[in-house]
Amino acid sequence: MSSISIGKTFTASALALAVSFGAHAVTDQDLLNDHKTVDKIVTYGMGYQGQRYSPMTTLNTSNVNYLTPAWAFSFGGEKQRGQESQPLIEDGVMYVTASYSRIWAVDARTGEQIWQYDARLPDGIMPCCDVVNRGAAIYGDMVYFGTLDAKLVALNKKTGKVVWIKTVADYQEGYAITAAPIVVDGKLITGVSGGEFGIVGKVEAYDAKTGDLLWTRPTVEGHMGYVYKDGKKIESGISGGEAGKTWPGDMWKSGGAATWLGGTYDPETDTLFFGTGNPAPWNSHLRPGDNLFSASRVAIDPNDGSIKWHFQTTPNDGWDYDGVNELIPFDLKENGKTIKAAATADRNGFFYVLNREDGSFIRGFPFVDTISWAEGLDSKTGRPIFKEGGRPGNPADLDGEKGETVVAYPAFLGGKNWMPMAYSPDTELFYVPSNEWSMDIWNEPVSYKKGAAYLGAGFTIKPANDDFIGVLRAMDPKTGKEVWRQNNSAPLWGGAMTTAGGLVFTGTPEGFLKAFDAKTGEELWKFNTGSGVVGTPVTWEMDGEQYVSVASGWGGAVPLWGGEVARVVRDFNQGGMVWTFKLPQDRVSAK
Amino acid sequence: MTFAFRVLLVLFALSVANVNAQETRLLIPDRTLDIIQDSGFLNVGMYKDFPPYSYEENGEAKGVDADLGRRIADALGVEFRSYWITPDENLGDDLRNHIWKGHYLSKTRVADIMMRVPYDSVFKYMRDSTGEMINEQVVFVAPYQQEHWKIVFDEEKLGDVNTIAKFQYHPIGVEIDTLPATYLTSTFGGQMRDQVNHYMTITKAFDAMAKGDVSAVMGMRAELEHNLKAHSDRPLAMANNGFPGITKQSWDVGIAVRHLHRALGYSVEAVVDRMVRNGELAELYQQHGLSYSRPAYYDVILGPEEAE
Repeated sequence: MSSISIGKTFTASALALAVSFGAHAVTDQDLLNDHKTVDKIVTYGMGYQGQRYSPMTTLNTSNVNYLTPAWAFSFGGEKQRGQESQPLIEDGVMYVTASYSRIWAVDARTGEQIWQYDARLPDGIMPCCDVVNRGAAIYGDMVYFGTLDAKLVALNKKTGKVVWIKTVADYQEGYAITAAPIVVDGKLITGVSGGEFGIVGKVEAYDAKTGDLLWTRPTVEGHMGYVYKDGKKIESGISGGEAGKTWPGDMWKSGGAATWLGGTYDPETDTLFFGTGNPAPWNSHLRPGDNLFSASRVAIDPNDGSIKWHFQTTPNDGWDYDGVNELIPFDLKENGKTIKAAATADRNGFFYVLNREDGSFIRGFPFVDTISWAEGLDSKTGRPIFKEGGRPGNPADLDGEKGETVVAYPAFLGGKNWMPMAYSPDTELFYVPSNEWSMDIWNEPVSYKKGAAYLGAGFTIKPANDDFIGVLRAMDPKTGKEVWRQNNSAPLWGGAMTTAGGLVFTGTPEGFLKAFDAKTGEELWKFNTGSGVVGTPVTWEMDGEQYVSVASGWGGAVPLWGGEVARVVRDFNQGGMVWTFKLPQDRVSAK
Repeated sequence: MTFAFRVLLVLFALSVANVNAQETRLLIPDRTLDIIQDSGFLNVGMYKDFPPYSYEENGEAKGVDADLGRRIADALGVEFRSYWITPDENLGDDLRNHIWKGHYLSKTRVADIMMRVPYDSVFKYMRDSTGEMINEQVVFVAPYQQEHWKIVFDEEKLGDVNTIAKFQYHPIGVEIDTLPATYLTSTFGGQMRDQVNHYMTITKAFDAMAKGDVSAVMGMRAELEHNLKAHSDRPLAMANNGFPGITKQSWDVGIAVRHLHRALGYSVEAVVDRMVRNGELAELYQQHGLSYSRPAYYDVILGPEEAE
């Protein structure tokens, strides 16, 4: 008897040992505390909320000039373009994705490769907007990322070996995944990119361990959502209640609203926030109505995928103002009260502050210099007040001549595109990488598609100013005022990060990673990484030192669709590296 | 820009592409006529899964475009090889991806010639907002067919279709994101909009018509004729209505080659021109059970085509 009991005890403790030694399993608690802990980065956004704020002060405004390269790592091969990734750091290992659906584990101390995994992409794949990947998720002993052929891949984080692969959507119908997935309560949650006509956006949750589908939530009004229990597919309500409320005819069946930039999560209200892309077809005159839930922020219950509320930024979008940009939960301290708020800077040029409990509008204001399509926002609802003549014309009205040109500010690439902003609870400011550009749109007298006559519009994108396009801005969510700005010659396309050390980091297409004073905007440090920085920086602590990392490698949408902007960026060289910096120990107290 | 205005990128992508043309041109194989003949094969670019023009069946390329490609390869004394094209947002994208630059995911893969490329002098010489020729990297040759928009309808349900006004009252199927989709949802101030049902392909629209979901389908004549064959059990008929206000009801279709490969273009054109003039092309279409309209290009040269 006793020997058996000893045996049991032994087995149990051996198990415990194995768990603590071998795996360093990432727990729900690790994810929930990611914004507070400094020794790891286990979420895209440096915390579920996506504030991209580090509480570290080791590196600060007085010593950032001593920030020094520690190592650099090449993604190798010929796939040198579009590195929009944010690295994860866990247990001395960096997990970093790269373009063309690749991922590495790298020794965070030395920059030596531990393993590499390349997704095998099918021939004839047609992702819409370059070959980028924005990052991974990590949970338990696995690391996860999405691929250009719209699959989720789960790898053993120690070995890089595949644990499971699931198809989220059919790439042949134009779907892809470029955003980082998010893990909430054991569920791996992802959106989809839609590269072709006919797609419908959705958010889906998978069992992080097994890859089993748990729920699916379409983001276009009229489509049924489902939960999956014991292998059974159970109806869980039509998005928006019923079809046809805000769409004419059967257009809701192919309404677009791709959830291509992933989501954030608010543990306090247990809510996921996903943004949605523009509606289809592109010609807004064909689909009178608000076209829900396109160009919106959708609040989703992570338990079953039901929609709690939505907020639409551009109803009946006619400019390609995707509403995908990240909604960042933050505490808005105003008039002695703390409001559970959330903020987002939209492609359409407006910055929105919402109540994250119910999606109600608190305030909104432009964060770009010029907005041509709307007079402003309704002060109660936040709905845009459309400007007469601001909407591109209907190509169906064409009489064989080139249509009238409409000039729209911002351009379709947005006042802010995918690149995440950061929020500092210290300064109570949002740091927004943004761009000042316009587009000319006109209806084409002739166009063709797949061997057939077609109706299309032509357009060209133009810098709004002669000497700069990019602007890194500090925006005050209480007043709507721009507290400071730093203009940049090329368009900004990389994410921002801020720290308790009073710093704001972001990269430029010219190749620099830069550090600014969070209060004044003064540029304090820069380093040329050799190729454009369109990734998002992170910072963490290891062996008592503070590290900063960023992926470098010019690419993304700007060089693909740059129009006149192409002239500014044509000489930038492509690349594929991750750069890591640290503040040497003897410099910590230096002045 | 996911779903984007990508449809809108018509010009825009092309104008950017022009900027980059110098540096990237070197990456793609430079298969001139001589090199093609030395290599012994011709890469014939065709749209994938696009019956009755081009599609694969048991590993074999089928359809009128494939067969015309075979005749051209034969005439050049080389082997026919199919090169499948997944259509992008518009023709300009396809020409960039498959004729003169290569797609950024496979930069060294291009076709020697591309079938079913509209032959339109306005498109050929179109300029962007800076005055640059948009399609200067491509030469358009060998117009071989004229294509039309048409309507097929269920006689049992509609009796006859003389004007499109009928579709204010009866559901009609279209392929998503095509001119018929735009036309029917916008014409007459959008009065037919709610009757328009969108499908991923014309074949799916026909399936819906067979089930009674729609009473008619609008699409390209050859596609409609092809699908009619599969639904011979239904009383379906092709209408002869007009399409008031449509931007383009018929257009010529030809072949595209890279602008540096004009000699190849001339050879291809010689083959096709002979086939148009001696009736071989009309025969080829007949063999596929399709009506044939000679390209309008020949009207000036040969005089108007006799009525069908």
